Amino acid sequence: MKSDDKSYHTRTPGWKHAFGKKLENILGKGGVVSAGDELIAYDADALTGTRIIPMFVVLPESAAQVSAVLGLCYEEEVPFVPRGAGTGLSGGALPTEEGVVISLSRMNRILEVDIANERVVVEPGVVNINVTKAVSPYGYYYAPDPSSQVVCTIGGNVAENSGGVHCLKYGVTTNHVLGLEVVLPGGEIIETGGKTLDRPGYDLTGLVVGSEGLLGIVTKVVLRIVRKPETVKTFLAAFGRIEDAGAAVSGITARGVIPAGLEIMDNLCIRSVEEAVHAGYPVDAGSILLVELDGPAAGVEAEMPIVEDVLRENNATLIKMARDAKERDLFWKGRKNAFPAMGRVSSHYYVQDGVIPRSRLAEVLGKVEELSREYGLRVANVFHAGDGNLHPLVLYSAANEGEPERAHELAGKILRACVDAGGSITGEHGVGNDKKVYMGEMFAESDLDAMNVVRCSFDPKGLSNPGKVFPTPRTCVEQGAKPYTEHPLQKAGMGEMF
Amino acid sequence: MGESAILKTLAGIVGGENALSGAWAEAYSVGGVAPRMVLFPGTVEEVSEIMKAATRDSLSVLPMGSNTKRGLGDAPARADIALSVKRLGRILEHESADLVATAECGMTLAALQEGLGGKGQFLPVDPPHVKEGATLGGIIASNDSGPERLRYGTTRELLIGMKAVRADGTVFNGGAKVVKNVAGYDLPKLFVGSLGTLGILVEATFRLYPVPEYSRTCMAGFGSLEDSQAAVHALLNSDVVMTSLEHLTPALAVAAAERAGIPAKRGRYHLAVRIANVEKAVRDQMEHVRGILKNHGAEASVFEGDVENSFWSGIREFPGGASEEGRAVLKAGVVISEVPSVFKVIEMLREGGVEALASARAGNGMVMIELGGDDHALAGAIDSLRMVAESGGGTLVINDAPPGVKSAAGVWGDLGSAYGLMKRIKSGYDPLDILNPGRLV
Ligand SMILES: Cc1cc2nc3c(=O)[nH]c(=O)nc-3n(C[C@H](O)[C@H](O)[C@H](O)COP(=O)(O)OP(=O)(O)OC[C@H]3O[C@@H](n4cnc5c(N)ncnc54)[C@H](O)[C@@H]3O)c2cc1C
Repeated sequence: MKSDDKSYHTRTPGWKHAFGKKLENILGKGGVVSAGDELIAYDADALTGTRIIPMFVVLPESAAQVSAVLGLCYEEEVPFVPRGAGTGLSGGALPTEEGVVISLSRMNRILEVDIANERVVVEPGVVNINVTKAVSPYGYYYAPDPSSQVVCTIGGNVAENSGGVHCLKYGVTTNHVLGLEVVLPGGEIIETGGKTLDRPGYDLTGLVVGSEGLLGIVTKVVLRIVRKPETVKTFLAAFGRIEDAGAAVSGITARGVIPAGLEIMDNLCIRSVEEAVHAGYPVDAGSILLVELDGPAAGVEAEMPIVEDVLRENNATLIKMARDAKERDLFWKGRKNAFPAMGRVSSHYYVQDGVIPRSRLAEVLGKVEELSREYGLRVANVFHAGDGNLHPLVLYSAANEGEPERAHELAGKILRACVDAGGSITGEHGVGNDKKVYMGEMFAESDLDAMNVVRCSFDPKGLSNPGKVFPTPRTCVEQGAKPYTEHPLQKAGMGEMF
Repeated sequence: MGESAILKTLAGIVGGENALSGAWAEAYSVGGVAPRMVLFPGTVEEVSEIMKAATRDSLSVLPMGSNTKRGLGDAPARADIALSVKRLGRILEHESADLVATAECGMTLAALQEGLGGKGQFLPVDPPHVKEGATLGGIIASNDSGPERLRYGTTRELLIGMKAVRADGTVFNGGAKVVKNVAGYDLPKLFVGSLGTLGILVEATFRLYPVPEYSRTCMAGFGSLEDSQAAVHALLNSDVVMTSLEHLTPALAVAAAERAGIPAKRGRYHLAVRIANVEKAVRDQMEHVRGILKNHGAEASVFEGDVENSFWSGIREFPGGASEEGRAVLKAGVVISEVPSVFKVIEMLREGGVEALASARAGNGMVMIELGGDDHALAGAIDSLRMVAESGGGTLVINDAPPGVKSAAGVWGDLGSAYGLMKRIKSGYDPLDILNPGRLV
């Protein structure tokens, strides 16, 4: 059995050429990328610090082609890396040396829109926003809305179990994926789940969602769509101190209100976003909080005064309600562009993704500020406050000697603070290549072993996106069940309590 | 080691007063198969010790809480030890500001709700068997749910973290204690619905919800199944946010209504709609709902309080569990628009002399079915129902039935193209096949 740490034999040019020909036999010439200058486009995802040029990139158009490619990879023991749009932030789609990248970009058809049953069936390369576009004429939408939704793919969302700015109320990707078609390493095609609920057997759909491409390639996805709410009201509140914004978040949920979205940005974020997209944010505010309420009109009306009270009680210096859909979109546009806008204030930034219990917000933010001072690097804070999902943006310049390393180290310490507060090392961006070293902070060996059982059941040779997620390479022991042997405990006929 | 020495060792782990054997153990039978002994460990360490011993001596283990799901699944192939986690019954953490709680898996749902209620929060699952002591572990392992699933989902949506003991005694954690987390595989999802075949669930962390302030239900009878189904689609495609939407076959509608003391017309398909929110929102939406129902020719009556609760508890408990001779309890999962096809088979069966009642969670296509008849009639009826469910892309499982019916009709139906993979996962976690052997995979 091959394990992740075993470096693959250096392939000879002759072997490589022959392998490329075999790929072309499956996919046609147009389906295989092998020229060096074209391969560069696939050398990283949105975490660009590490780059690796793959041996080949293939562009399959069907599950059958994916299956044939995985069959070939299995025979020749070639590792492969699935890729959607490459917007991942944890190096999940980082190629493997001497491996194949399987880009699902050509499998981008919406296969079925079934409004009556609230389902949409798509290929993995469909861009997230296109699902909502397909169903919005009927009054429906696809709820998970990562800020990258205009480019990222459903396949990538499935692999990362992506969230968005509305997942506090509506859940993340896994709550909206009901079925999958998956090509397993080796080429076997399986279906898990489906359009209906409670299908018997293990919930393999739930297991594959969030598995970061380590369990095979997803080639079809059954999604749940939901009805657009009757009313949407969005508040923008400004605060002097970010702690007050955090306390307001806890205050709102403590009063029994679960908003559709609850997002916080600090001053550094506000300023750069405002400069970039003119969202109408108050640039002198210490922090802002976006609160979106949605649902039946009377329900939202009842919640509005509660929210306003909480905002005031927590010293909001400004409370503004979006006048109309246009202004609401503008409020969100600012939030959704928070990462790219950082490019205006810093040549480089590292996006961290950690989770803490909502009630520990003030404490952990204090710690982040401390770390920022200690390292002499600016940290901008933007986060999905409702579910405690922090996205500290560590700003640095690659031109300064040692700064990228220091930025990375600082970001790591933030994760440690999250784990210490009882949280998680990633809420939505995944572990990928980037954070595998932190897995041990959150999980014990026995926890990782329990995960490894899953990996080995799907991928005994460790070919699917190897070297990601797990902190140290784990091998697969032969899993064949030992035969059951009759044990000495015979019918004892004891009728007494011990 | 001889047999009685093994029994003594196992009893020694939990203490004699927490072990039963022989005739005492029969009450803990699963699928009619009695275990040789029953153990009630009081700590996670004791669970682990038991599993180590079971692995050492290849003893099969039936994990359970109150054993209310004893009819679910195929009969176990072997049954040495019933391991009930009932003594693990505490809330370990409840951080109300975070709407998160961790509890031991032997805790009953009723006890958990009582513990959370003081803070105005609850775990929004409403499965059957709660009065009989359904535990958190059992509800998770069977992914059991009730009519409120429309609004809140099942434990699949609510379980964010867990602790379990593997077949060899290793204790591990999956997930986290925060509502959002994607680090590593989502093991809680794998364990939801795994029916005790992969490990013993000992602790669970859930996302909670605030208890809604106000609730009302309305019910209406329709001239035809076409009308009631059209009303279902109209309700789903409206602004109304429903907690439950139940579609009842005529005979069941009358029985459920009579039980709760509500008027219901005979011979009509009925819809029951529950809305829970702040008072004004409930009132506004109820009016909206009644308007929609009226458009489909149905006059709705609204009820509340004890009557409302008693009505829904009847729906929740329908069709009950534990097998009696001549009864079968089924669950079909179909797409929303296929519910009428299942109802039509129910009608046909009734015309053919089989007792058949059904109630559908109309907003998500789950149909709960109760059949009465001899083994032969039951197996035939299950075949017809399964055929209709599967032809529409759905599934039908037997939740409980006499052993002869289970083996004739098959409990699970077709487990599909992923069955081989499921078996690999099972043997990865449980290489000796000692956890609920043969019950699911
Ligand atoms: C500006 C910006 C904003 C973002 N905002 C958010 C946000 O709000 N919320 C959020 O959760 N994320 C966010 N992200 C992260 C990223 O967009 C998501 O992780 C997204 O789901 C990745 O999709 P992708 O198609 O780009 O996948 P890729 O980056 O190409 O791949 C991601 C992972 O999925 C695997 N994969 C891709 N397709 C398949 C498949 N068919 N089968 C199996 N595995 C597959 C890859 O191997 C890789 O491990 C943001 C990123 C950027 C750049």
